[in-house]
Amino acid sequence: MSDKNWEPKIVAFVCNWCTYTGADLAGTSRLKYPTNVKLIRVMCSGGIDPVFILKAFERGADGILVSGCHPNDCHYNAGNFHARRRWTFFDELLEYLGVEKGRLQFSWVSASEGKKFVDVVSKVVNDVKEMGPFKSYDELNSEFMTKFPDMPEIDKNMIIKEEEAV
Amino acid sequence: MEELKKLAKELLENKTVAAVIGYQQVDDKRTKPIIVTTPEDASKLVFNEYCLNNLAVYLTKARIKNLAKQNGTTLKLGIVAKPCDIHAIVALIQESQLKREDVYIIGMNCHGVVKDYGMDFSGETLATKCTPCDSHKPLYSDSNLGEVKDTPKVSDEVLEKIQAVEKMSHKERFEYFKKEFDKCIKCYACRAACPLCYCQRCITDKTVPRWVESSPHSRGNFSWNVVRAFHLSGRCIGCGECERACPMDIPLSLLNRRMTETAKQAFAYVSGRSLDTPTLVGSYDVKDSDELFM
Amino acid sequence: MDEKIISKQNLVNFCKDIVANGHNLLAPGKTEYNLIQDPSEIVLDTKSKPTKASYKTFVFPKAEPILYYKRGKNDVVMLDAKVDEKKTVIFGAKPCDTNSFNILNKIFNWDYKDDFYNERVKNFIVIGLMCEYSDRYCFCTSVGSSPVSEKGSDLFLVPIDENNYAVRIVTDKGKEFIGAYSKYFTEGAPEKSKAAEEKVKQPEVAFDSKQVHEWLGKNFEHPKWDGVGDLCLSCAQCAFVCPVCHCFDLVDEDYSYTEGRRMKNWDGCQFGHFTLHASGHNPRDIQGKRYRQRINHKFKYYVDKFDEILCTGCGRCSRGCAVSIDIKEIVANCTD
Ligand code: SF4
Ligand code: SF4
Ligand code: SF4
Ligand code: SF4
Repeated sequence: MSDKNWEPKIVAFVCNWCTYTGADLAGTSRLKYPTNVKLIRVMCSGGIDPVFILKAFERGADGILVSGCHPNDCHYNAGNFHARRRWTFFDELLEYLGVEKGRLQFSWVSASEGKKFVDVVSKVVNDVKEMGPFKSYDELNSEFMTKFPDMPEIDKNMIIKEEEAV
Repeated sequence: MEELKKLAKELLENKTVAAVIGYQQVDDKRTKPIIVTTPEDASKLVFNEYCLNNLAVYLTKARIKNLAKQNGTTLKLGIVAKPCDIHAIVALIQESQLKREDVYIIGMNCHGVVKDYGMDFSGETLATKCTPCDSHKPLYSDSNLGEVKDTPKVSDEVLEKIQAVEKMSHKERFEYFKKEFDKCIKCYACRAACPLCYCQRCITDKTVPRWVESSPHSRGNFSWNVVRAFHLSGRCIGCGECERACPMDIPLSLLNRRMTETAKQAFAYVSGRSLDTPTLVGSYDVKDSDELFM
Repeated sequence: MDEKIISKQNLVNFCKDIVANGHNLLAPGKTEYNLIQDPSEIVLDTKSKPTKASYKTFVFPKAEPILYYKRGKNDVVMLDAKVDEKKTVIFGAKPCDTNSFNILNKIFNWDYKDDFYNERVKNFIVIGLMCEYSDRYCFCTSVGSSPVSEKGSDLFLVPIDENNYAVRIVTDKGKEFIGAYSKYFTEGAPEKSKAAEEKVKQPEVAFDSKQVHEWLGKNFEHPKWDGVGDLCLSCAQCAFVCPVCHCFDLVDEDYSYTEGRRMKNWDGCQFGHFTLHASGHNPRDIQGKRYRQRINHKFKYYVDKFDEILCTGCGRCSRGCAVSIDIKEIVANCTD
């Protein structure tokens, strides 16, 4: 991409029981993985509603990872099986609408697969880096942003930071 | 036609059904829905190439359901249904919105309907949903009426358009759909006309949190149209009512049909065809393809 | 009233100049009124079907920001949104569309003056076109208008022969506007346009709006409302395509954690949640009550309040209704 310093924003929706624990393991094993990834822990991959994905794209995500327990390992027995069917549709739908394949990726990562988690995340980050910023979705936002006029400044120190906002 | 009027009259007289949901003639090339509750009115019922509506949409409405409750018993609801409408009824039964014994399906043999009222019936004016239709005889019905005629053979316009879209680059596709969705005014006629959009409260009407923005601007429209298409993936029975209802001429069937193809190819499933199988998205198979997942 | 003549060729030149001068030019297409870049594409056809959507979105947009906000820990700053002041010329609008501003002006200048609307209308030039369409859904003549009505137009076009249009100058605004383009216009011949007008087939008068008004006053409770309500699907197609339906909803949309904007979006009284209270109570809980509201608002309440029928008789709502609910037929049946 033209801007060498550009770093993609990646959001990963991961299930509590496998992938999140796997990510934890990666951390405790001191494995390094790209810091662009923001993990969002949900209880089960079956509980990740596609509107979460849309919202993340709306808010500027360049790539998204959805990850849960391997088939047959779901903490709730069948959550990931249900998810698998739904994601098959959602993935095809988004691609059909013009979202490149690598923007949204899926994986199964178990609690013991710290290494796999690192590989998966690295792959997503690299893929998205190659594709560059997610311009298409930005266009949807652009109407919103360009019309945003010059606002009188609030004292910078007073602005609530993202982390503080609840 | 006479047999339809006669049957409806009988059903109402002998209290098999509390009402018959059917079509009524408006002028020679136009019909509209009617809910017949008395034997006398049964004579108003018609069936022809101008019966565009998918009347299954009424079966999930509370007040219509209430019609069936009479003097402590529940009668059936009669419905005049084309084979494709029956797919919607089947899907509703599969999804537990309806019990088989609660409906009396008057299944009509069908050779296609017109694209819009006021047109002469021919291959050219055949509704796009009718070209790929493979069920001109009703699948499940309590009575089967109507003459059997051949459907005009024409090319599958929607599929051709889908193939054309798929030839575009990702960027072009995104722009194409953005332009189409930009027209959306969020009137939700597509949702209202869909027999399978029966949710009491649609996700777009939920405000806390608001996942789908209610504003009809580019972003809100994109989300809404994606959500609608996704919620109907593997469920849409292809009656095309959403597209017909859309005042802004957005080609909604390009989305629905594409997802129907996915259901066919990935899961060998066609919605609304069998009362003996569970719904596609409400069930799973451990042997489903795992290709998508790293 | 002044009248001029313009040739077809000059009409195109006139439009080209309008675009060249940086004004927005709108003309009816199939679905909606389109922004025109190349005026030679415009087809002026008195026999064309009304567009599916009206042009109200250009004065009362389907979605528009009304203010922007930014919040700090102890502070919020707000900024009013401004209206783009570009002049917009609407070309070839049907009389059942042009009449809409007269009706909307009343509500948008009632107890509160809506600047967004007023600013836009101020910058709007309406060039109407006589109409020779008319189908089973049209009823402009029943609500005090007609296919040759100039109400609401600044300029009004009547085709007088193959190659020429008569241009009626209806308002001072219209007069002023064409001043700059006077080279395209020649002196008019009012008798010719009168003759052309008289040939137009007028839709039959379907009802007497006074009688309807009276009937509605007496029949708030009537079984007919549930009859329609049970068939109606509760969408907002009818309200959103209508040139004069004007309800809106205000929502705040975040742009980031600290910034956002307040949007004004169209809303429709046929939606079930339109009147849903926070308590869960819904005074218009079933569709029959909502449909009754639609008719009463248009043919009774608005008349009581502003002495104007909230309907131009364009028939759009009926033409587009998925279940063929025909407002003209329903209103015509509002008699004893
Ligand atoms: S779009 Fe989805 S949530 Fe809304 S009514 Fe349809 S199925 Fe229900
Ligand atoms: S019917 Fe068309 S305009 Fe209305 S909400 Fe659906 S897609 Fe949008
Ligand atoms: S009258 Fe027709 S367009 Fe209006 S809400 Fe009812 S179904 Fe929708
Ligand atoms: S109510 Fe219907 S006929 Fe009357 S102005 Fe509105 S859209 Fe036109």
